[in-house]
Amino acid sequence: MSELPKTTHGEHAPAARSAQTVNDELLSSMRPPTLRWYALVIFLLALIGWGLFAFGWQVSHGMYVTGKNRPVMWGFYITGFVFWVGLSHSGTMVSSILRLSRANWRRPILRAAEAMTVFCIMVAGLFPLIHLGRNWIFFYMMPYPNQRGLWPNFRSPLLWDMTAITAYIIGSSLFLYLGMLPDLALVRDRSTGWRRDVYGLLAMGWRGSAHEWAVYHKASTLMAALIIPVAVSVHSIVAWDFAVTVVPGWHSTIFPPYFVIGAIFSGVAAVITLMIIIRRTFHLQEYLTAQHFDNMGKLLLVISLLWSYAYFVEVQTTWYAHEPIEWEVFSFMSDRYTWPLAVMLIGNSILPITLLCFRRMRRSIPVLLVLTLLINVAMFIERFLIIVPSLSHKNMPFAWGSYSPSWVEISVNVMALALFALLYTLFAKFFPIVAVTDVRELEARRGQVALGRASLPSLPVED
Amino acid sequence: METLGIFPDVESAGQAVTGLIQAGFVPSQITSLTSVAYPDGALVQTAPRSFFRWVSLAGAATGALAGFGLAAGTAWLYPVQTGDKPIIALFPSAIVTFEVAMLCAIVGTMVGMFLEMKLPAWKPRLYDPAIAEGCIGISLTFHGPGEIVACGPGREAIEHCIGAIAALPLPEQRARAEEVMRQAGALRTIME
Amino acid sequence: MEKMTSPYRWGMAIDLDRCTGCGACVVACQAENNVGLCDKKEIAEGRNMHWLRIERYWVGEYPDVRVRFLPVLCQHCHDAPCEPVCPVYASYHNPDGLNGQVYNRCVGTRYCGNNCPYAVRVFNFYPHEWPQPLDSQLNPDITVRSRGVMEKCSFCIQRIRRAKETARGEGRQVADGEVQPACAQTCPADAFVFGNLADPLSRVARLSRSPRRFQLLEHLGTHPSVFYLKGGGREHV
Repeated sequence: MSELPKTTHGEHAPAARSAQTVNDELLSSMRPPTLRWYALVIFLLALIGWGLFAFGWQVSHGMYVTGKNRPVMWGFYITGFVFWVGLSHSGTMVSSILRLSRANWRRPILRAAEAMTVFCIMVAGLFPLIHLGRNWIFFYMMPYPNQRGLWPNFRSPLLWDMTAITAYIIGSSLFLYLGMLPDLALVRDRSTGWRRDVYGLLAMGWRGSAHEWAVYHKASTLMAALIIPVAVSVHSIVAWDFAVTVVPGWHSTIFPPYFVIGAIFSGVAAVITLMIIIRRTFHLQEYLTAQHFDNMGKLLLVISLLWSYAYFVEVQTTWYAHEPIEWEVFSFMSDRYTWPLAVMLIGNSILPITLLCFRRMRRSIPVLLVLTLLINVAMFIERFLIIVPSLSHKNMPFAWGSYSPSWVEISVNVMALALFALLYTLFAKFFPIVAVTDVRELEARRGQVALGRASLPSLPVED
Repeated sequence: METLGIFPDVESAGQAVTGLIQAGFVPSQITSLTSVAYPDGALVQTAPRSFFRWVSLAGAATGALAGFGLAAGTAWLYPVQTGDKPIIALFPSAIVTFEVAMLCAIVGTMVGMFLEMKLPAWKPRLYDPAIAEGCIGISLTFHGPGEIVACGPGREAIEHCIGAIAALPLPEQRARAEEVMRQAGALRTIME
Repeated sequence: MEKMTSPYRWGMAIDLDRCTGCGACVVACQAENNVGLCDKKEIAEGRNMHWLRIERYWVGEYPDVRVRFLPVLCQHCHDAPCEPVCPVYASYHNPDGLNGQVYNRCVGTRYCGNNCPYAVRVFNFYPHEWPQPLDSQLNPDITVRSRGVMEKCSFCIQRIRRAKETARGEGRQVADGEVQPACAQTCPADAFVFGNLADPLSRVARLSRSPRRFQLLEHLGTHPSVFYLKGGGREHV
């Protein structure tokens, strides 16, 4: 993976941009909001308002407004929960792994990915509260000393969920904040008035001294190393919500690795989608080049192959052993939900693997946009197809049922998406959406080296 | 007492550091202020060891205890029989202990990092916004006049080693430093 | 932590050779336990509230069709999958061997309902009402559950409690046959036998050792407290 621009004979190397120009271009998202920005925010607020209305309808009337029934007691809300937890693995995987492996092409991508993580897990954390039958006493699930001496049940996977999601929200927020620290100082220096005070407070008096940078780099590496086990454990715990039950189709040891792979898959796809949007909206074509998308595309190809492998293994072992109730779940799924299943297989396996093998496809922004959006739609379907068919056809055939989502559940899921988009839009307006100092660090270390007949760009090797 | 010189690029800043060291200041008095990190040694060298990892470890240990207390302790305080699971169960306790330990390790890393950086700074320190736009700052901390003590292993902190120039009174040290910086190409110098 | 032991281990034996599928037990259970009334719409949506259901299976092809009835109620498993997954301990195992459901504690995550392999757990999707004069028939010994709460067969724990109180007042143990859950009391074919499995001489304990016995979904290792009896030759259904 070459991260330097290619130089042909006789061409001069591109003139180095001044730091100020780079700052201006990368921080262009923070300019005063335009009418279009306000229109977007209002539209998202409207969607959120509609979702809140739907949720309020559910709380005041009862869970019958959803599509859930007996025996399918979990539906779109838990699908949404697992989906958003999965998406939240984007930043962790992309950012930490690329940081630790010192891949230079990570630099323009880091901030967007890390911010995505924080907002996705925040949105995901809403669903366990939304899906309760008696939401108003949700605090029964929290461990606090009370006069009756009651404690919640830590043997329940739902409590592991709560612990893990709390740890991940705090951990990924701190990770994002750590990554932003030098950029916050940069923005502080370019602001005036009350904004300067706020950014100054957040920047904690950062000056960029050599000692501060040295400690910062070591701390970033340690944080990146620490956040990866948290991310893997969070999604394994969500997978255990299903895997530790006796429900046929759920009780499978492959669930934790399968869910983690699926999470990385949808997360990386979502990062690519966001990068395409950010690149277009903030005119960052010089910084997010075709090479970056090429590399992300290769990563996506590998993960798509992994996901396809995991899915194939799961179906194949169930088919071969052909335990009646286990196979019944797959049989029912392919019968009742044929079209969603087809979309899922095409979107997660067939299209990504065939398209992403080709360099021209990986470098084509429209192809990547359509593909990554389709991947995330397919991943949502995949979560749905894990949860609902297993519950529909459990062990007692007389109690079989099926499920269709209601307008309330669909509205709430749309609200979740709108909430994520709104948080992200606000973040991009008030904070640098590209890791400015990280990108400039690459420029600062670049040099020109004469080799034979050519003059090539060079980069010091990090040890 | 501090002096800050603003340089337009890394070459002139490097020349200034060389000049200052030749003038008799010790490396531990000199630091660079940059908006992006430069490789170690390009301008100044930094200490190879850091202590913030101990704070992370302390955080992890505290978190592990807290997590175990949550999962196993609350179950012991309020024992309710559920299925065939023991009251204090191995896997759930291990999972919750791990999560809380990792959370506290991450918080510990942040706290330790800020402690080691000595941030937030309580005293106002010299800075120039031009640094954010790509200029390099070279900051020099002065010693009062005193005995020359060479820097070496065990005496790396500013308070412990003093260079040849420290025999001079402070205003003269400052004048020499500013002369060196101006010759190297400083855009301006700022002092307290 | 005190050791929680009890001289009782409530269990049931259901004789499928006697069950006629009349459904009187279902009605009795609904009446005794204030189970919510459901209209056609609710049932069509799959939100029935039956604590006890009669499963009906057709065997054979016309004209040689036969029918089998299987009353399914909460099996009060000794290794209940529904208990460890409740985040607030609303589903727990009591020393008498019953799987208890604490309505006041339930926050409605419905995890227990998903993890029950027998699908006997019921969720209050609707707020149920008893328009007058139906509210006069409510049993004062048991609560009426709000919406958002899980419920299920409790082996008529209110009757068990009443019998235990009476027995304690008289300084004795509960006698065999003294406690009759509503289904056992009502069944015209005497297919339900309820009693103390810990007493080897009780009727239910004897029947639980019958060569005709089987349990539902034994391979899952839930160790239910309910034994089904079915035997006879192939000429019996």
